[in-house]
Amino acid sequence: MIKITNLVKVYRTEEMQTTALNQLNLEVKEGEFVAVMGPSGCGKSTLLNILGLLDDPDSGSFLFNGIEVANFNERQRSSLRKQHIGFVFQSFNLIDELSVFENVELPLIYLGVKESERRKRVEEVLDKMQIMHRQKHFPQQLSGGQQQRVAVARAVVNKPHLILADEPTGNLDSSNGNEVMELLTDLNEQGTTIVMVTHSEHDARYSHRIVRMLDGQTVLTDIMV
Amino acid sequence: MLKNYITVAFRNLMKHKGFSFINVLGLSIGLTCCMLISLYIYHEYSYDSYHAKGERLYQLGAVFNNEGELEHRATVPSALAVALQQEFPEIEESARLLSLFRDDKTLLQYQESGENVKSFYESKGYVADPSLFKLLAYNFIEGDPATALQNPNTVVVTEEIAEKLFGEESALNKTIRISSNTNGDGDYTITGVFRPHNVPSHIDARFLLSPRGGGLENFFLNSTTLLNNNMFFTYFLLKEGSDAQQLEKKLPAFVERHMGEELKNRGSDRQLFLTNIEDIHLASEIEGNVTPAGSLTYIRILASIAVLTLLIACINFMNLSTSRSSKRSREVGVRKVLGAERSFLIWQFLGESLIMALVAFIFAIVLAVVFLPVFEQLSGRDIILSFQQHGFLLGVYFLLAIITGFIAGSYPAFYLSSFKPVQVLKGRFSSSLSVVSLRKGLVIFQFVISVVLIIASVIISNQMSYLRSKDLGFIKDQQIVIPLRSETAKSSYASLKAQLNSHTSIRSVGGSLNYPGISNPTDWLMYKEGSSAQNAESVVITHVDDSFLQTLGLKAVAGRLFSPDFPADTNNHIILNEKGVAEFGFPSAEEAVGSWVAFDWEGEQYRFDIVGVVNDFHFKDLRVPIQPFGFLLVNAPIYNYLIAHVNQGNMGQTLQVIEERWNALNPNEPFEYSFLDQDFQKNYEAESRLAGMIRYFTIIAILISCLGLFGLATFSAEQRIKEIGIRKVLGASVSSLVALLSKDFLKLVVVSVVLASPIAWYIMHEWLQTFAYRVDISWQVFALTTFLAVMIALVTVSFQAIKAALTNPVKNLRTE
Repeated sequence: MIKITNLVKVYRTEEMQTTALNQLNLEVKEGEFVAVMGPSGCGKSTLLNILGLLDDPDSGSFLFNGIEVANFNERQRSSLRKQHIGFVFQSFNLIDELSVFENVELPLIYLGVKESERRKRVEEVLDKMQIMHRQKHFPQQLSGGQQQRVAVARAVVNKPHLILADEPTGNLDSSNGNEVMELLTDLNEQGTTIVMVTHSEHDARYSHRIVRMLDGQTVLTDIMV
Repeated sequence: MLKNYITVAFRNLMKHKGFSFINVLGLSIGLTCCMLISLYIYHEYSYDSYHAKGERLYQLGAVFNNEGELEHRATVPSALAVALQQEFPEIEESARLLSLFRDDKTLLQYQESGENVKSFYESKGYVADPSLFKLLAYNFIEGDPATALQNPNTVVVTEEIAEKLFGEESALNKTIRISSNTNGDGDYTITGVFRPHNVPSHIDARFLLSPRGGGLENFFLNSTTLLNNNMFFTYFLLKEGSDAQQLEKKLPAFVERHMGEELKNRGSDRQLFLTNIEDIHLASEIEGNVTPAGSLTYIRILASIAVLTLLIACINFMNLSTSRSSKRSREVGVRKVLGAERSFLIWQFLGESLIMALVAFIFAIVLAVVFLPVFEQLSGRDIILSFQQHGFLLGVYFLLAIITGFIAGSYPAFYLSSFKPVQVLKGRFSSSLSVVSLRKGLVIFQFVISVVLIIASVIISNQMSYLRSKDLGFIKDQQIVIPLRSETAKSSYASLKAQLNSHTSIRSVGGSLNYPGISNPTDWLMYKEGSSAQNAESVVITHVDDSFLQTLGLKAVAGRLFSPDFPADTNNHIILNEKGVAEFGFPSAEEAVGSWVAFDWEGEQYRFDIVGVVNDFHFKDLRVPIQPFGFLLVNAPIYNYLIAHVNQGNMGQTLQVIEERWNALNPNEPFEYSFLDQDFQKNYEAESRLAGMIRYFTIIAILISCLGLFGLATFSAEQRIKEIGIRKVLGASVSSLVALLSKDFLKLVVVSVVLASPIAWYIMHEWLQTFAYRVDISWQVFALTTFLAVMIALVTVSFQAIKAALTNPVKNLRTE
């Protein structure tokens, strides 16, 4: 599904330049659950941003479902993103002014799904995440675990092929964290590809494979049994 | 999608109440100003737009060459209408109108059954050709416009006058007595009653007299001069398909044919021009029209103020939106991650500003309705609109609100939607330098507008108080003016004067045809002893009695005044002012006394011996320089006004005494009076109105600017709350923190003053040029303005700064 070859990303400021990704190579197959680990500043988040088409590489190749997307423009990236990719963030990133239902509905709005269809799909996913009873509440009224469940619901509502999770349990206690990891595992078992950046060895164990990064390169891959 | 935008917009409005309040209030006030001012402008442009034949109706005007200075005037000799119509087939019909120029009010009386006489004063009377009603649209509710005014001694009155005279009864064919200083006294039959249109007209007539039968008949109908007696307003209806411009091009040849020789003898020239009836009201270059022209300059000033006020409110929205952008950056990031394209986000943010503008629109409509009466009073215009016009304007205002929403929202929308999700989601958000600079620039722009308005207000009010207080060269205070409108009243002058003179509270009583501050239509082309008509000077003339000059407190600088001590004084004695002496070229006032000045009329010389010279004084308002002036003595009871100079003290009692004496002598005429100083001030009505409006709009502009500044200060204090906490822990005093927080804003205000001062100086310098006598623009004005602007800004900003500085630092640091 994803094939990255010799990917380079350099951040420049007036005083200095930092190489975030240095000739990085990575392949993720359809249906895989990959955890990316490594110390702070090793380039995990940059990799995730590029995979999510939020950032573009300086050089190298990025094949998504066999199509070269490294040189996509903003509109093409946005279109690919909203159809195929779901995001889960450490800080949930729910919109405070929108209710649970409206937050989850948002990706479908941007996809241009009809209202009746949207309602059906949002209710379906809220039900699945067991937060149906909270649909009219606003993010501030929910616990962290509930907020992350809403975020996961929002990530999967448009049935993406790929979910990118950036430390999804980082702001949660262990029991809520485990719940979220169970959710992601379920989604993966139903066929969704997942790439997750994490600091937690415990969370990483839910994945099929751990990619370890250092100084912008993959240094090791652990296959989980 | 739309629903989502609206939902988010409303929730944002409700969540950030302070922000919403400032914006909605600012935009509402800005829109209200725009609405009120546009109503005024709409009214000004709607004059005479209702005449069915409007596009073919023209007023004839003449250009006079006043020693090289061209003067456009609306009045021409009466014979021109006939002569032009005879010569040019393009002219289908003509009509003349003559103002009762010596009557500020005219006496109307109706003898009811028995002895009872109903009498009251009416203003706005005219003598008019019967054809006037063929040309202009008059809404007759009684009588026939085609025949009204054809017979001698007929009159057409407004519905209101008819009701005053006869109540519910029909006014048609009733006879009333009309006593006019201009047209004489006479009995008139009412041949028509009209209801004025809702749309304003430059002709504000309340009653129109037939030319035949009145004192002015000869002037009106039989005069043949094409150069003299320039006092008739002349209207032409052009034939269909005729081109006014083409006709205008033929007029110089007409002037040459008929007046060329006489003009050459006079060493003068004359041009004629046409003005379409719909353009008359705003043709302010034409002097002396039926009603004072509206001012395009004032319209432009007010329109600029309206636009700028709204712009200040838009800038508030822009600045507060971008300064709050860090708070909304995460939302932008999330939406982009979820697939929102930039255009979606631009529309979302524009939608928010549009909703804000529409909410403001609703408030503004309410505010406009509430403040319309106040504004009408301020602008001196009754704004009456039809239902259709209301609908049309409502549509225009709605559009204005939408445009305002777009202008206010565009910059924030483009700015906010440009955020990169990668950065904002990581919390790495900082306003770029260019955004901060732009925000500062916009604040400066707002304050430049406010400061210009403050300076303008101060200078205008300085000039207005100068106009009020400048020594006019005569005593203007404690002068009661009593109009003498009928023959009876005029003939009672001597008795009234004698009775009033015997009263202790009255110092002196004088009579005259005119008094300072009101229009004086007489001027003569005179030359001095040893010179000829070719070197004549224009001298303004008024006729007075033997105690008028003393009553006004005029002083003889040479020779003497007219006085009861010189009963042998005759009608051919003149008293000039110093300016007149100088213009005639007398070496000194002393040498002028004993000499003579004269004018020629139909080949005969009329000579006047100079018996005295008085100090220069302002007979006209301070817009015009002092002109040569001559007083002539007249002993016959033809005075239009009695002026009584009274002692300070109980004015009410004095007036009561005068009224009693008046009523005894003139039982059928209501007692009326005015104060000379107030009459004089009426000349500055337009300026007073402008001053009033600018003062109010200045306050509004400052208020909206301060709202914005307050919002920015609030936000800045919020953003720096941690810094303030740390500084306090390290020992900073409250005053140093207030200074820290206020300093940046005050710098902007000072820059604004520096930028605004030359702009304001230039504009006000130009405005002051319209007055012959004016104040200097002193540095104190700018110092005062700087002080005011800084104080206003300081009060606005320091409130937030003090609040932030007084907060417990522990709390501040904990919130981080």
